Amino acid sequence: MKDLLKDTLYPAAMLMLLVGAWLAGVYLLHLPPYLLPSPHDVFDRLTGDFGYLMWHSGVTTFISLAGFFLSIVIGIPLAIALVSSKILDRTLMPWLVLSQTFPKVALAPLITVWFGLGMGPKIGVTFLVAFFPVLISSVVGLRSIESEMIELADSMKASRLQKFWKFRLPMALPSIFAGIKVSVAFSIVGAVIAEWVGATQGLGYLLLQANASLDTSLLFAVLICLTVIGVVLYYSVEWLEKMMIPWHATVRLKDRL
Amino acid sequence: MSQSIALRGIGKSFESFRALEGIDLSITEGEFVAIVGKSGCGKSTLLRIIAGLLEPSEGKAEVAGKPVTGPSDGIGIAFQTPVLLPWRTVEQNIRLQLEIRHLQRPDMEEELRRLIELTGLQGFEQRRPYELSGGMQQRVALCRALIHNPSLLLMDEPFGALDAMTREQLNLEIQRVWMQTGKTIVLVTHSIIEAVFLADRVVVMDARPGRITDIVDVEVARPRSFSNLSDPAFQKASNDIRMLMDAEGMTA
Ligand SMILES: Nc1ncnc2c1ncn2[C@@H]1O[C@H](COP(=O)(O)OP(=O)(O)OP(=O)(O)O)[C@@H](O)[C@H]1O
Ligand SMILES: [Mg+2]
Repeated sequence: MKDLLKDTLYPAAMLMLLVGAWLAGVYLLHLPPYLLPSPHDVFDRLTGDFGYLMWHSGVTTFISLAGFFLSIVIGIPLAIALVSSKILDRTLMPWLVLSQTFPKVALAPLITVWFGLGMGPKIGVTFLVAFFPVLISSVVGLRSIESEMIELADSMKASRLQKFWKFRLPMALPSIFAGIKVSVAFSIVGAVIAEWVGATQGLGYLLLQANASLDTSLLFAVLICLTVIGVVLYYSVEWLEKMMIPWHATVRLKDRL
Repeated sequence: MSQSIALRGIGKSFESFRALEGIDLSITEGEFVAIVGKSGCGKSTLLRIIAGLLEPSEGKAEVAGKPVTGPSDGIGIAFQTPVLLPWRTVEQNIRLQLEIRHLQRPDMEEELRRLIELTGLQGFEQRRPYELSGGMQQRVALCRALIHNPSLLLMDEPFGALDAMTREQLNLEIQRVWMQTGKTIVLVTHSIIEAVFLADRVVVMDARPGRITDIVDVEVARPRSFSNLSDPAFQKASNDIRMLMDAEGMTA
């Protein structure tokens, strides 16, 4: 209970500070509404257009989640393949790394040209943005098992499969989760980028519309929606992590020092 | 008696570093051998070679009459660190040995209870490794090395993190297990008293390159007890070992 209080108190204080600065900007500096809308306007927007915002949020959440799941479903098995095959590792890894230095934002228009305006290509863009953290952290996790642990498995004459399921994979879970947490945040960015190109719905699309018509209160409302989605998804993953690896130090010792 | 372990001319290099050189050692079946020597003299490396976890750079290693090509069935190892799986409870960690070897039988569960009691871990069966002290973790590792009743038990300083009382208690227990089951046991230890108390023979090693300086026989009848450590035979053996180590400049 005390921990919960602490966990919510500090972020809440931070929020107050931000809203305070915001109010100060609006009422003391008298910034024009098209630069900085008042919290009141934004709140009105959020409540007034609630259904509308929820619908677009739903679309973006769907694309984010689909891209995110794809990242996991492809990223983790790909990591396993890379770790178990030297040839595959040598062949693919340089290209995978290269693909990450490449600005994926620039890829979105091309993908639209090639694959059209449907959900599929958008999920594809989201996947491209989000899968790398999962892949890399899974590779690192699967590789970083201590040599004594492997010796223990060897001394028991563990088969390759046993070594993987009973030693390597559970040992890699903390690292995999670290990647998944980055990935879930990236997936929202990916969805917004995807919706910037040839979309007729979604928060990314709304963002463009609001921007074009200098509708800053809508812009702020969309940003708030995005933040809420991000926070909810992130903490869902963290909760899942707590359930799956309660034994790990990052989970257990979170509140120490 | 048949030979359990035969090492002939074993050498091991890591890059240009000579970890072991010219190791000749025969251990008969059912024998209890201790290995002592200063840190870094290659004790763990030697144990790994016997276990089939590490290939020697030169020489031949045989266990139970067969050349060592990898870990064999009848082997139990307690490593220098406990290497427990953090997501498994005490009980599950011990059972791991049975799971991997497909040895899950009802009588094994009985053996599990017995070992847990014997090592004083009762009440902690459902705890996870991070909830245990270092000494308790070592005891779990020891149970795991013993659960499948291996004919060759290799232990690398298994009692390092234990208090003197528990240590003596477990030494007595190991002696009892050994006398009952006739296992071959190789024990690496830093304690001369422990080596002399438990072993038929104590192998004294020295470093750079890692080699066997001498082997000291301990001719004390079994079962041995800590109350007669002042026994002349015990004294002689420990003095011999200490002298060998002094001669090598191991102790100040
Ligand atoms: N995998 C390895 N790569 C390189 N050098 C190694 C490796 N394993 C061991 N060595 C070296 O070989 C020597 C012997 O190591 P070993 O672990 O066998 O010593 P030890 O006698 O068990 O020491 P301690 O009592 O401290 O456990 C050390 O100098 C160590 O640095
Ligand atoms: Mg060692």
